[in-house]
Amino acid sequence: MANMLTNKYIKYGLILLLSVSLIVFTQEIKHLKNPDSMPVTPMTFIGLSSLWLFSMIGIGISDVLQKSPVKFVREFPVLGWVSITSLVLCLLSDFFITAIQAVDFLSITTPILTFAGISVANRLVDLRKTSWKIAIVAMFVFTGTYLGSTLIASLGLYLAGN
Amino acid sequence: MKNKNFIFLIIFVLVIITIAEMIGFQSIPVGSISIGLLPLVFAIVITMILGLQLFRKGFWKNVYSKANIDFAGKYLIFIMLPLMARYGADVAPQIREILQVGWVFLFQEIGNLGTVLFGLPIAILLGLRREAIGATLGIGREGELAYISEKYTLNSSEGRGVLSLYIIGTLFGTIFFSILAPVLLGVGFPVEALAMASGVGSGSMMSAASASLVAQVPDMESTILAYASASQLLTSFLGTFTMVFLAAPLQKFMYKFMVRGDA
Repeated sequence: MANMLTNKYIKYGLILLLSVSLIVFTQEIKHLKNPDSMPVTPMTFIGLSSLWLFSMIGIGISDVLQKSPVKFVREFPVLGWVSITSLVLCLLSDFFITAIQAVDFLSITTPILTFAGISVANRLVDLRKTSWKIAIVAMFVFTGTYLGSTLIASLGLYLAGN
Repeated sequence: MKNKNFIFLIIFVLVIITIAEMIGFQSIPVGSISIGLLPLVFAIVITMILGLQLFRKGFWKNVYSKANIDFAGKYLIFIMLPLMARYGADVAPQIREILQVGWVFLFQEIGNLGTVLFGLPIAILLGLRREAIGATLGIGREGELAYISEKYTLNSSEGRGVLSLYIIGTLFGTIFFSILAPVLLGVGFPVEALAMASGVGSGSMMSAASASLVAQVPDMESTILAYASASQLLTSFLGTFTMVFLAAPLQKFMYKFMVRGDA
């Protein structure tokens, strides 16, 4: 049982290692293409290690809280726990912020979307199950939530004097 | 790892990243505004196209093997975690500023009702009925999926609606938001407001929206990322409540009003 648990965390650790390795690869390629973009420095590696560590802590918190009696806590996404972990630790130490900001933001996004694209490969056929009507509705739904929030935020920021 | 094709997946990913980054950021003028296409858009478009059944022959079958696709799907969340950790570092330095306008963050959550306000009338006009309930309650991510399947089951018309939206969002959500955000910026909305609105409740859609804003206004990178991730975090806390206590009742009311007489 303890062994299985260790194996599970080793697996998560390796996948996260893959994720951060792809980030540094992307940042290097981006820098080759555009020398003005952020170079890979020793600080980048410290930043990536921090991201790896915070992700692991977030996974751990999420796992432990699976036993919580509160449904909301059990269902709170692991993505959220990782952000909160990182936020708290970054508030405690500026060093983490400096390190993590040596990791280029856009370089984090390209590998994720590459995996996202591969992951949906078998779902493209599901499109047949949906209708063009829902596709049109989807455009309005997505625009609706974004525009709705933007309108309120614009008004709010204007009133707040920003 | 028993998956013998795994190495092909990794090489393929490295090649795609290289291609996407070499294409780089492309600005496409549309009328008076320009839409910026980021490498992430090329990455998802290329991988989706190459994943089409008609391309999956011979060697390609090793890359898009069942085990590889399953791996990408099952662990996508984990691949995303470092990004979520990065957001903590973006919010932290600006936490004071964010708390100062905290009420704006809270209020813009109500904007998520836009799915019902904009989506439902269109759905009804197109002749959809109970499917519209599922398709317009929210942006059709896991939260809505869980709520609808609990209330109506996924085999109902409502269930089909939310499932369809889920599929479309998964396939095209990021592409859509990476275009919508710069378009609204071009229309004249303030970038801070657009950043705040980016926290729509889906990690990848938020990243797409905020990343394309960063590409358009690089000087504001730290503010954009801080606002977007703070609002995303807030949506993951409040999203369920907004849906159950605001979106669902509003939807019920509007639905009854709009289909009266012909239901």
